[in-house]
Amino acid sequence: MPERSRVKYLFVLPGIIWVLCFTIFPLLYSLRLAFFHARLGKSETFIWLENFRRALFDDYRFWNSMGVTVFFVVCSVVCTVSLGLALALLFNRPLRGQRLFRALFTTPLFTAPIALGYLGLTIFHEQVGAVNTVLFALGIEHPPAWFSSIWPARIAIVLVDIWQWTPFCFLVLLAGLQALPDEIYEAAWLDTSSSWDIFRYITLPLLTPVLFTVSILRMVEAFKMLDIPFSMTSGGPGAATQTYSFYIYLTGLRNFNAGYASALAYILLFVMLLISLSFFNRLRQLYE
Amino acid sequence: MYQGRSTLIGKIALWVVILIAVSWAIFPFYWAIVTSFKQPGVIMTTPSLVPWLQFTPTLANWNDEFTQRWPEISRALSNSLIVSTGATAIAITLGTMAGYGLARFRFRRWKNKDMTMWFLSQRFLPPMATAIPFFLVMKFLNLLDTQLALILVNATFTMPFAVLTLRDVFKELPKEMEESAWVDGASHFQAFFRIALPLAAPAIAAAAVICFAFSWNEFLFALILTYRNAQPITVVIAGVEHTQGVQFWFVATRLLIAILPPALLALTAQRYIVRGLTFGAVKG
Repeated sequence: MPERSRVKYLFVLPGIIWVLCFTIFPLLYSLRLAFFHARLGKSETFIWLENFRRALFDDYRFWNSMGVTVFFVVCSVVCTVSLGLALALLFNRPLRGQRLFRALFTTPLFTAPIALGYLGLTIFHEQVGAVNTVLFALGIEHPPAWFSSIWPARIAIVLVDIWQWTPFCFLVLLAGLQALPDEIYEAAWLDTSSSWDIFRYITLPLLTPVLFTVSILRMVEAFKMLDIPFSMTSGGPGAATQTYSFYIYLTGLRNFNAGYASALAYILLFVMLLISLSFFNRLRQLYE
Repeated sequence: MYQGRSTLIGKIALWVVILIAVSWAIFPFYWAIVTSFKQPGVIMTTPSLVPWLQFTPTLANWNDEFTQRWPEISRALSNSLIVSTGATAIAITLGTMAGYGLARFRFRRWKNKDMTMWFLSQRFLPPMATAIPFFLVMKFLNLLDTQLALILVNATFTMPFAVLTLRDVFKELPKEMEESAWVDGASHFQAFFRIALPLAAPAIAAAAVICFAFSWNEFLFALILTYRNAQPITVVIAGVEHTQGVQFWFVATRLLIAILPPALLALTAQRYIVRGLTFGAVKG
């Protein structure tokens, strides 16, 4: 392969430069803003680290939204990955109509989350929503008031998120399962007849890299969650479902406090950086 | 490999679980469709799930959507279409080239792996972190409420999908054909356009579909950067609330209009979905 040619740079540079312009430049801009008291449309004053101090020590809404986000991330990752794995194991067998099922499970992934949130609004409606209609029919007289109490609202959002992302875990894990070599299983079935042992000692260890990838990707996406709480609960009741991204949005683009919002964004960036650094090397190996 | 005992009970249990899973997956769609055929008055008074049995379906909501409210919807749809197409075109053009470059050449100064991670890291970046500067820059450039602003944003966010997926696809293509083309005197670009590109065409089309769907569904930046003329469908559906409380019938028709194009389109990319969504880390 000719390696000295400079032409090869023409292939990769446009993409790299594009991304550089459209992400690094805005990031530098907001790094500067983070050290200013800057309200959109008004003058800016340099205030050192005041924005960061305020966020970390003087802002209960910061910690609230951080807590809400972590709760959503944990619930969403745990539930989607385990449900996805269960479904993948279930479908990993010769089954009539498997292609149809896979197609069916693809559609939620490409449903606009914002639209899904509004749909959730009608599904969880207290009097005439689908969920409570079913609960009424089952004889439950006082089903949860989904949007006016804290935990039901959070659970409703998690449920919608699980609905949307379980198919992702399912499809990826199914692909992972189907890529496992048959020979190992043939040999293993000679030694044991317990499908639990097969799962525990063969499938699970072999599937670990895929499980790892899926969990990481889900975690990264879940940390950005904004659309569903935005449309379904507007962060309410109170700030019970106000995710971190949502809080930044409100601070920067509703209250026009650009400086403080930039500082908040940088804290999120820092958290994401810590998380990604902890698995960076393993992730890098996947792209050998 | 599966080696289960297929007893009758086992089979029945399996299909019951499958049935539950499938109904869970399609229920929200079912609910949206059913709701869109309900009389506005009926919706808020009596809960109901089954048409004809529990209520008489009506076409009134759809009729309204396609006559009275059509100007607003059609403008939003055309904005979405233009923005998604434009963003996809940029992301796929640059992404195909970068993906090919990363798959075929070895770079010394920056390693291939590092450049790949550079693209991947874009997906880890919370969009909220760039939203405020983007808003300020677009305001400065006088690009607020234009389709161009959204095209630029969406191209940036979908490019990593294109690069990483296509890198993986090109890696799997045999490179002997291109090498013999080089020997015969073809330039890198000729080999790329005449040999690699046609071979990778189905995968490129699938990557384009994924980029298109993600641009179509993007909400945050669309909300921030547009306020009237360039509003795509995701922002317009956000207007369904708050005017007079939740108008179920309105929500349902409009959501279906917004949801269907990318969801149906995505079905054509079935074969590459897993690979695309995991950035090539898992082969589908």
